[in-house]
Amino acid sequence: MKKFVSIFTIFLVMTLFTVSVYAQKATEQKQAEAKPIEQKTEEAQKETVTIQIDKTQLSGGGKITITGKAPAGKDVYIEIYSERKVRAARLDSDPDPKTGKRPYIFYMTDDMPAYYRLIVPEKYKSVLDDAKAKGRKWSVSEVIKNTGADAVYGYPAKIKIERYQTTLWASIIGSRGEKLEPMDEKENKKRSMQLLKAKFRSVGNVFSSNLKIEQDGTFKAEIELPSNAAPGKYHIIAKVGKDIKSESVAVENFVTFPNVYLSNAGRTVNLFFPFILTAAITTFGVIMGAGGGFILNPILVMLGLPHTVVAGSVMPTVLFSQASGIYNYSKIKFISWKLGITLGIAMAAGGFIGPKLTELITLEQYKFLFGWVLIILAALMLWQTTPGYLEKNKKEQAILKEFKKRAEEAAKKKQQGGN
Amino acid sequence: MRIEFWGQEFKANLFIGIPGAFIIAIMSSMFGFGGGPFMVPLMTVFMRLPMYVVVGSSLLAIFFNTLMGTARHYGFGNFDLIFFLIMFPAAIIGGFIGPRIAKRLSPVAVKRVAVLGLLILALRLLGVF
Repeated sequence: MKKFVSIFTIFLVMTLFTVSVYAQKATEQKQAEAKPIEQKTEEAQKETVTIQIDKTQLSGGGKITITGKAPAGKDVYIEIYSERKVRAARLDSDPDPKTGKRPYIFYMTDDMPAYYRLIVPEKYKSVLDDAKAKGRKWSVSEVIKNTGADAVYGYPAKIKIERYQTTLWASIIGSRGEKLEPMDEKENKKRSMQLLKAKFRSVGNVFSSNLKIEQDGTFKAEIELPSNAAPGKYHIIAKVGKDIKSESVAVENFVTFPNVYLSNAGRTVNLFFPFILTAAITTFGVIMGAGGGFILNPILVMLGLPHTVVAGSVMPTVLFSQASGIYNYSKIKFISWKLGITLGIAMAAGGFIGPKLTELITLEQYKFLFGWVLIILAALMLWQTTPGYLEKNKKEQAILKEFKKRAEEAAKKKQQGGN
Repeated sequence: MRIEFWGQEFKANLFIGIPGAFIIAIMSSMFGFGGGPFMVPLMTVFMRLPMYVVVGSSLLAIFFNTLMGTARHYGFGNFDLIFFLIMFPAAIIGGFIGPRIAKRLSPVAVKRVAVLGLLILALRLLGVF
């Protein structure tokens, strides 16, 4: 036990050290890279768009005011995207309107900006409100069409999207399926809109209508970068049409310790928050005898972290405790290797398939299935508090204790004999 | 399958055990939680094995799942190193404090509170409220 405590302490110190060094380094690097950005203050000419921003640096998010001038009487749109990229994925299983066949094509990109916002003129606020009222059924393409932004929707339309033909069999053997030919420009644009929704979920996370345009063509917009926004540059462009656009200006966001950027999740978090949350929930998980993942994962998902990253990062945290548990049981020969390995092979096969499914399902499906898993777990635990079970369990626990004692004694004897 | 454990022989029904373990492993690796609370009832209730055979062996079986699931999640790029490095020590701290507090609490009362908590969480996930 003492040995374990000391190993654990060493490990804890090392981990904290690594994390803080990483965060520190990242900050220094960014500061070194930071350069003042030249603002374009040319005189506004006809058919040109100019843009200025009130600051070029932000720390942990904040408000930016964007001003500029466009040809009078035209709608101006502003596109903002981060240089940091994240993954977005979507399984297209909607039946074809003509044939009724489900395509089962898996679309995936690693080039989705961690932050994207298309600011439309204020007069289109009602379009956004309509989309919001639709709940989950809103669509990016419809909003873009109704706000007249089709020609100015630019950056995400060009991201590289890969697509795979998924089949039931491919999912069973845990493969993404056969990779299909790259899409043409138009198709890529259409799919990018679906991926935007898959990644950012709500209307307000993709669109904003906080853009005032005066009659002479000057415009002013405000945008608030959230505190959990990714570090790095954010590019801002004002557009009137496909080719009538301003130069791109950039604002750089800095993330400082104790905030750290989770590159796979595309979010900045305060280091202490998940630490305390995890410690508290695993403590409770151990007390209730069911492990922390059941409570921790849904909470992290509800807080907005992608379910794939939550599942993929929480799972390895128990590797160490499981391994030490197995080691302790094996020391007293309290494991039936034959039984454990036989069932273990079946579980390894399941573990091969599961992560593939995490990737395929949407957040809604994840929540739905997890909800039912929790109900089953709650039923199981309720049953474990019934008098009949408790009595049986008492006997079982007594036998377990007795056997364990004998096993420990035998292990001790053997050790002494060996010496 | 016949297994021997401390001089006693047991019959393990693999027709239930293997499909059960397989399904539990899929769910567990898909959502990223531990499979213990489902594996132990599977082995004690459905395979009719005594608790003292189950405790160690179920842990070994689950370890296979965790190892494979971790490798696969990593392969699909769903593993975030910094996130993991934050949670890992926290999970170990929880594993230390938990049993010490558990000793002072009534396990039945804890389970009942947990049932309530899980139900609330489940209903939130299902969008009931």
